[in-house]
Amino acid sequence: MLLIESSMGKAVRRIAIYGKGGIGKSTTSANVTAALSERGLKVMQIGCDPKADSTRLLTNGVKYPSVLETLREKSDVTLGELVHEGYGESLCVECGGPKPGMGCAGRGIIAAFDTLEKLGAIKEYEPDVIIYDVLGDVVCGGFAMPIRNGYAKDVFIVTSGEMMALYAANNIAEAVKGFSIDGYAKLGGLIQNSRNIENENEIIDKAASEIGIDVIARIARDPAVQRCESIGKTVIEGEPDSAQARSYRELADKLLSSSEDISGGMRCD
Amino acid sequence: MKIIHPRPNPIVAAMYTLRDMDVDVIVVHGPAGCCFMASRSIEEAGVRVVTTGITDNDLVFGAVESLIETLRMVKEKFDPKTVAVIGTCASMIIGEDMQAAIRRADIGCTVFSVDCHGCMKDNTSGAIKAIESAAVAGVIPSDEAKRQTEMMHAATELEKRNGMAARDYLSPTRGPTKMGIARKIIETMKNGGSVTAVIIAKKELIYRFADLFLVLDEVKKKVGGKTRFIANIDKDIGLPRIRRYANDVLTEMESKGVKVDEVVGGLDEYAVIGERIKDTVDKTPHDLLIVVGIAHSYPDIPKDAILITDQPRQLANYLNSGYVNSVGEIASHSMVMGTRNIVPLETADTIREMLREYP
Ligand SMILES: Nc1ncnc2c1ncn2[C@@H]1O[C@H](COP(=O)(O)OP(=O)(O)OP(=O)(O)O)[C@@H](O)[C@H]1O
Ligand SMILES: [Mg+2]
Repeated sequence: MLLIESSMGKAVRRIAIYGKGGIGKSTTSANVTAALSERGLKVMQIGCDPKADSTRLLTNGVKYPSVLETLREKSDVTLGELVHEGYGESLCVECGGPKPGMGCAGRGIIAAFDTLEKLGAIKEYEPDVIIYDVLGDVVCGGFAMPIRNGYAKDVFIVTSGEMMALYAANNIAEAVKGFSIDGYAKLGGLIQNSRNIENENEIIDKAASEIGIDVIARIARDPAVQRCESIGKTVIEGEPDSAQARSYRELADKLLSSSEDISGGMRCD
Repeated sequence: MKIIHPRPNPIVAAMYTLRDMDVDVIVVHGPAGCCFMASRSIEEAGVRVVTTGITDNDLVFGAVESLIETLRMVKEKFDPKTVAVIGTCASMIIGEDMQAAIRRADIGCTVFSVDCHGCMKDNTSGAIKAIESAAVAGVIPSDEAKRQTEMMHAATELEKRNGMAARDYLSPTRGPTKMGIARKIIETMKNGGSVTAVIIAKKELIYRFADLFLVLDEVKKKVGGKTRFIANIDKDIGLPRIRRYANDVLTEMESKGVKVDEVVGGLDEYAVIGERIKDTVDKTPHDLLIVVGIAHSYPDIPKDAILITDQPRQLANYLNSGYVNSVGEIASHSMVMGTRNIVPLETADTIREMLREYP
């Protein structure tokens, strides 16, 4: 019964974006979501971070209550309270979580996914692409959730040429490889979010070849990002004709061409 | 060695230890079902046990508020003198600051926390945490805490050497009926033989094991024979509650005209008195040796001895090790929780029944 139901579900790309804290995961994810939405694709971006700030550039800076915040207030939640419309009819979800130093944020991610799954979010909204924007490092099982248990299929890591960013990228790559044994997510490639350090391209190319993956895009460091951010917008929305917007669109294409389209619900069949 | 049979966990061990200290209320900071079976039996012994009943939301956001609320309810409902808050797997994984919650609740009596959880390996590690925290809170004196801790270490060693932690798997068994050993005991005494009976009781179990001495005395009166009673029932050793157990049982025995011939150690010393018990037994020859309780603490016990244990897996251990005269007094523990009187032993009742056939 369950099998028939889920295999009738349409194909979905399930992409997870990981990377060191502050490296640009949310900015990159939101711009990709905006770019894909412009092409007419239904994109659901799920922020997996207690800060709940993943989708802020898609909602004009409006902070909607997170899944966990809502669940804390009441037990009979509806999907409409958890999924909010953003730029280009994108679907914005923030898992949210505890205040720093309290409770268990990792467990929060698990509980939030459970809720979305239980409420049939995928069946209801039928996204073509799900983008998971996941907090800094894979600190515990909860933050590995998107790359386990069949949620995300393709993992991309945002990095600059800075040592700590590459170090985190390496750790994440290790974690993904570990889980791929069980048939879960696989590494799709590195996304370079430049910091303009010396020999940045070469450094990142070298790291990529050591990990055994490709650098799928090089995003320039561009003040357009901050300009748009200050008005709560992605570059795609705020400065659609800029070079930076073009490179986000190229990245979006690249993500589509290097990810798998698999049927199922929140999880792949 | 990886041991896979289910066994007591550190949280439960901590709870029993808190009961021994006569703590009024134990607050289990965890999900509602955690340690529920043990909680109920500890309540039988007169200690209030409550749970903070933390939920998935608490796991995510922290459960300090829930603990504070529970402490305030405890104050209002029970007005206790001492309260212990114990950790569980769930609350400890999320790093709950129980001490901070206690300070903030500020309920105006002695409240202390025990940082324990289920994954601390030896169950005694939970008991030791309880002892240490209670000593810091001034609930027990520090020299007694030191002694209790040594007892716990000894108990751990004993279980690893000869007990349930010495095998990777033990299946529980109910063992043979008590008919065989009952007949053996009566026949030995009827033929004028001498029986040495040893109780190595773990704390409250003395209330049930003591019935062995009572019944052997009844056998002697009816068919003759000699008895010698040895037990770890020193009423001047251990925490007040444990001394009270010894006192209750000795008083009841005395009222029935039964005397313990040799007292070797206190009720919490079951893990350290094996050698001394053996030396005491060996001083006088016997025709039959019966050991009830933590028999494996007795070194090189002869294979023809009768062993009586309350543990179904320990029974399997004894039978597998060639002690063919072993029987189980299963569920003894639940029978003694909260009692102040000697509880009949099935072995003893079997002997009593059989004794009626003798003129
Ligand atoms: N290509 C870029 N050019 C200029 N600024 C950028 C670029 N990418 C990101 N930034 C800036 O870096 C800051 C951090 O980015 P972002 O919030 O996307 O990082 P993050 O990886 O999601 O961080 P966290 O780990 O805290 O969630 C943003 O405020 C943004 O302005
Ligand atoms: Mg972010």
